[in-house]
Amino acid sequence: MTDLVIAPLLVALATAVLSLFVRPFERLRAGVSLAGVAAYAVVVAALASEVLAGGTMTYQVGDWPAPFGITLVADGLSAFMLALTALVAVPTAIAGLRQVSERAQRVAYHPLFFFMLVGVSGAFLTGDVFNLFVWFEVLLMSSYVLVVIYGDPETTGATLRYVALNLVGSALMLVSIGGLYAVLGTLNMADMSRRLAGNAGVEPAAVVPALGLSAILFAVFALKAGVVPFHFWVPEVYRAAPTPVTAMLAGVVKKVGVYAMIRLVFTVFGGAAIDVSLPGVTGDALGFYGPVLFALAVASVALGGVGAVGRDDLPGLLAYSSISQVGFILLPVAIAATAGESVQVLALTAALVYALNHAVAKSMLFLVVGVIEDAVETVDMRSLGGIAGNAPGLGAAFFVGSLALVGIPPLSGFFGKLLIFDAAVQADALLALAAALGGAIFTIAYTSRAWNRAFWGDAPLSVEGMAPDRVVVGIVLLMAGALVVIGVGFDPVYRFAEAGAHAALDRQGYVDAVRFANATATGGGH
Amino acid sequence: MTQTVLALVLGALFALGTYLVLRRDVVRVVWGVVVMSQAANLYLVTMGGLSGSVPVLEGHGFEGLTDPLVQALVLTAIVISFGTTALALVLTYRVYQGHGTISMEELGAEVEP
Repeated sequence: MTDLVIAPLLVALATAVLSLFVRPFERLRAGVSLAGVAAYAVVVAALASEVLAGGTMTYQVGDWPAPFGITLVADGLSAFMLALTALVAVPTAIAGLRQVSERAQRVAYHPLFFFMLVGVSGAFLTGDVFNLFVWFEVLLMSSYVLVVIYGDPETTGATLRYVALNLVGSALMLVSIGGLYAVLGTLNMADMSRRLAGNAGVEPAAVVPALGLSAILFAVFALKAGVVPFHFWVPEVYRAAPTPVTAMLAGVVKKVGVYAMIRLVFTVFGGAAIDVSLPGVTGDALGFYGPVLFALAVASVALGGVGAVGRDDLPGLLAYSSISQVGFILLPVAIAATAGESVQVLALTAALVYALNHAVAKSMLFLVVGVIEDAVETVDMRSLGGIAGNAPGLGAAFFVGSLALVGIPPLSGFFGKLLIFDAAVQADALLALAAALGGAIFTIAYTSRAWNRAFWGDAPLSVEGMAPDRVVVGIVLLMAGALVVIGVGFDPVYRFAEAGAHAALDRQGYVDAVRFANATATGGGH
Repeated sequence: MTQTVLALVLGALFALGTYLVLRRDVVRVVWGVVVMSQAANLYLVTMGGLSGSVPVLEGHGFEGLTDPLVQALVLTAIVISFGTTALALVLTYRVYQGHGTISMEELGAEVEP
């Protein structure tokens, strides 16, 4: 059943190609999109259950043995991220049918949506660094066109900056990958991991230059994740893109950056035998990345929170909020990198649970904003008000999503925050605790501000006559329900996230699962 | 010798790319990004080892070989940068059509509400 590993990729790719041909036919292309995304969810669910039951699965593309060919690896972490993707992609695809203009749907929206899904799935599944670059490019290129799909002057300027920034990022990523290949002699992540750890039969590689080169890679991942100080593109792009696209960007594409950071720091460099002797930094590669992650996370939480409080438009507020929330995801990752092994699993579990919560809640909030934009034709809070009274469904969904971001029981966000605080306390990371607490207060401030100004109060005429799209309102209510269900039936979600955390930390398991062609071929010589 | 020359060329290309990216003119920025990604490609080729030793075979008794892997990687990277460059140039044109300017500063001024 190892073919299942490549199934999410193939399903998304086949749907993307098929939807190229059915673009002119409105019903047919909607049917293809819905069937494709449903099939994607089904194969992801099958893959996830298989991985949870039977452990890590690998697929050698073209039957080339590792480390010479490209290896796809589906472990607990990949499976968790794929499940998160499917959970966001299904409602977003349905909402896209209603919220994206007919012309954009006819031109390119559907194939691009699925090509982006191909890129995301590939990035989560690949076990090869250069292949990761290729999947990044696939998803970025689709996202460029998806952001600019309406082609009006407001979006072209924002997209041009987004494209230029990411092209520089891609060039840097290539530089880093080339350097890593020259130093380590391999691009396979499992092979890199065991060479860095200096395992038996493999020569200990030049770890210090590899670590320095990986820092460039890390910066590129941080750019994709939109954490401070690489956050400046986020508000502009999120505002320019059509809302279903923003929902995917904020819900899923950001998490690709977070996932890649976790993979790089823990799976590839987790066991690197190195003595770092910089001021304030001691120990191994994790000791090197821990403080960096911590600084990025705290800065993101703080700056994102402050930015969100000061915004008057709903998309801008949500965009700054996602900068802050990615900080919340990285905070436990930083704790996991610095704290002892006993806290590592708990901290990474917290990060994954929070990533899931943010993905569902934030993409739902962006869809709500999309409905408001279509029905009222403004998203400026100064000219909104009383939406909760005039569109109770929208109000309820926004309310639940806000509470999930704040972390009120029994929603999924509560457990995310609880686990983060738990990990911070157990690791004695008082600074992290303070940052999380301060960030939570900011979250309460900006969500209640949005609620008070847009959803309560006197409704202007435009809001009183609003006719929200019933289908999308139904979808956002279902997503709000999902947030409640994840919170109430939290145990299986927790176990899934814990399996993901174990997979991220189990370097030996990852290396073993890749099954190199000949254990001595790369080290012992013929 | 080759190494020194290539190192200097790479340095010059990255410097030129960085300089262009920091210009106000959008077209120059796109040019800068193109120069940078080509510099990255060239850098990637050099990472295969110029002295005839291949990282993947080092210490295995193979001498005087050039690494074919980096060339395959560069081919992929070139195709990707070709596509993105085309997109960036089209975008530049659309930006000029929509805004009547190609100055990054004037474009930036329009974004903030």
